[in-house]
Amino acid sequence: MSSPGPAAARLSEDARTRRRHAADRRFRLYGLSAVVLALLALVALLGSIAFNGLSAFRHHQLELEVTLDRETLGLPDGPVDVSDLRGANYMGVIRERLRALHPEVSSRKEKRALYGLVSSVAGFELQQLVLADPALLGRSVRVALPLSDESGRYLKGDISRETEESRRKLNDRQLDWIDAWRDQGFVQSAWNTRFLTGGDSREPEVAGLGGALLGSLWTLLVTLALSFPLGVAAAVHLEEFAPRSRVTDFLEVNINNLAAVPSIVYGLLGLAVFLNFMGLPRSAPVVGGLVLALMTLPTIIIAARAALRAVPPSIREAALAVGASPLQVVVHHVLPLALPGILTGTIIGMARALGETAPLLMIGMVAFIADPPSGPLSPATALPVQIYLWAESPERAFQELTFGAILVLVAFLLVMNAVAIILRNRSEKSW
Amino acid sequence: MSSTCDDPGLPGPGGASAASLTVQPFSPRRILERAVRGLLWLCAALAIAVTAGIVLSLLFEALRFFGKVPLTDFLFGLEWSPQTALRADQVGSSGAFGAVPVFTGTLLITGIAMAVAVPLGLLSAIYLAEYAHARVRQLVKPILEILAGVPTVVYGFFAALLIAPALRDAGSPFGIDISSESALAAGLVMGVMIIPFVSSLSDDVIHAVPNALREGSLGLGATKGETVRQVVLPAALPGIVGAVLLALSRAIGETMIVVMAAGLAAKLTANPFEAVTTVTVQIVTLLVGDQEFDSAKTLAAFALGLVLFLVTLSLNVVALHVVRRYREQYE
Repeated sequence: MSSPGPAAARLSEDARTRRRHAADRRFRLYGLSAVVLALLALVALLGSIAFNGLSAFRHHQLELEVTLDRETLGLPDGPVDVSDLRGANYMGVIRERLRALHPEVSSRKEKRALYGLVSSVAGFELQQLVLADPALLGRSVRVALPLSDESGRYLKGDISRETEESRRKLNDRQLDWIDAWRDQGFVQSAWNTRFLTGGDSREPEVAGLGGALLGSLWTLLVTLALSFPLGVAAAVHLEEFAPRSRVTDFLEVNINNLAAVPSIVYGLLGLAVFLNFMGLPRSAPVVGGLVLALMTLPTIIIAARAALRAVPPSIREAALAVGASPLQVVVHHVLPLALPGILTGTIIGMARALGETAPLLMIGMVAFIADPPSGPLSPATALPVQIYLWAESPERAFQELTFGAILVLVAFLLVMNAVAIILRNRSEKSW
Repeated sequence: MSSTCDDPGLPGPGGASAASLTVQPFSPRRILERAVRGLLWLCAALAIAVTAGIVLSLLFEALRFFGKVPLTDFLFGLEWSPQTALRADQVGSSGAFGAVPVFTGTLLITGIAMAVAVPLGLLSAIYLAEYAHARVRQLVKPILEILAGVPTVVYGFFAALLIAPALRDAGSPFGIDISSESALAAGLVMGVMIIPFVSSLSDDVIHAVPNALREGSLGLGATKGETVRQVVLPAALPGIVGAVLLALSRAIGETMIVVMAAGLAAKLTANPFEAVTTVTVQIVTLLVGDQEFDSAKTLAAFALGLVLFLVTLSLNVVALHVVRRYREQYE
């Protein structure tokens, strides 16, 4: 200890060692900051989706007592049929009620400003009510009417009174009216059920995801029905029966490469083969499902092969030894044991297919479609395509809907991936 | 009951009785086995059919395109304006199909993306594989992979709505005119998306480098960082190159981010602040909406698709080959 000999020399750092150690610490810091930066990007992404998307699930409605007066509706006094009821002037009823609320409004311009605060499709609500129960004619009913997209944004705080009047769509007078309605309790905040169940619309206040969700459901059903059996069969062939040969090698390389082909190329394939050559209908979920099935097939094959490989040979040998045929070995023993792994891969493949947009653009699933699809052959959009369509719409209110739709999509993906992870953890077995 | 005796064993007196026990050549069981195996083979061969379908459909339409526009004009022409063909009798209705500006635009955006993803992804991989606690690595790796699982349409929306305006505002005080559809915005966001493609695979290959190499280097007195840079990384380099090539192929083929955040006009520039267009953007704009399948404008999309497929395919083949060779080396 006391001798200041070589031991001390070893313990004290010379300048060069200090530099090297400093470089070492810096290097480590670079690595750490890269990880932190990437994680921050993820947090910012998911955080802003959650922050901006949640408000799409609530909306404001104008709850008013309106009188379904035959004269205002433009209906004759006698018995009326359904077509009369459909064509009646429901907006007239609403407008009359608004004028009664604000008798001071007289000029045409002011009236139009007042009417503009309510959604231009508010009459539809009344129409539905009357069609369901024609006995309501001539009576007073309390209805919750959709407000216009700009009124909704003001009530949610997206538009501020402080903004210069010329730079916002609503003038001071209109804001006063909305404030008055709110103070008198006419404005109700409610869950926006239409957002999840309704079809798409040009009017953001009534546009919904229902059609896109159904479209995605049909598309994924077709995808699953095709890619799961085909993928598992291909994996069984490659893993259990295929002889080691050039052909098998080529197949393997081929499948690995297909997994990395850009998705838009599958869209081009779908356009050229399914639409132009085979003449299948444009915009139909069945074509979308076909294209996505081809796209997810390699993913499922690769996952299924890994799952089959994880089943120990002793299982196969035992089955063979008691007289099972090679096919029986696979169907009775290997496949059931590999199933959780195969399902994990399938769910992950389906999650990818659910988020895929580009190939669906190619086969025309981007058209504006207001009615939810009734089956795999009727025109539809899908959830990510709906996000694209809304993101490209000029009205500011669609921005909130886009965030809301992204939130729904990400929630679906999270659930699917969580199920896949749970399945994998529960099925992990050490032989 | 035994299956057909594939094994030539069992000689001697037992052979005769074994033969009598084998299933008859035309038994239903045997036919079923054969049929099912044939079906399985067909399913596996479907993968080849898909590849053939892609190649044939792209080639067929692209050849029709090259019947109208010479191949050299397409590959080396400097002007791209397919949208001029509004009416048949219009002057210049044939459009201009020189794809060079489209290719350079793709390269510019891809380059920016790789400039983000490679350093961040590689440094993350090094940190997670070499420095981080095993628990941290197990936790952070799948979290980073979420970045690759977020649908690209979401990234596109973010690039167009948040990043591009933020960049434009950030540039104006310095007198830099940044377009609201700048290559920079699309490239940065795409870079974030492909971080996991670099980091996850690199992490795997770094982890697979044998510990003996590290211990040898540390034993000679190298610091941890020196060991990583001078021993581990060179040993893992082929695998890392493979990871980067796969990420590159992914970036080139990425569609939604550029469709939503990059421009439509093809401009021959290397300035990241300007709007450029990419191969995938052009394919989408040429094919979405009304299509006439005899116009050069529509067919041009398939020619671009063919180029895209060939480029990404060669990148994938090289990358997968390199990664496979690397795995065999250490396993």
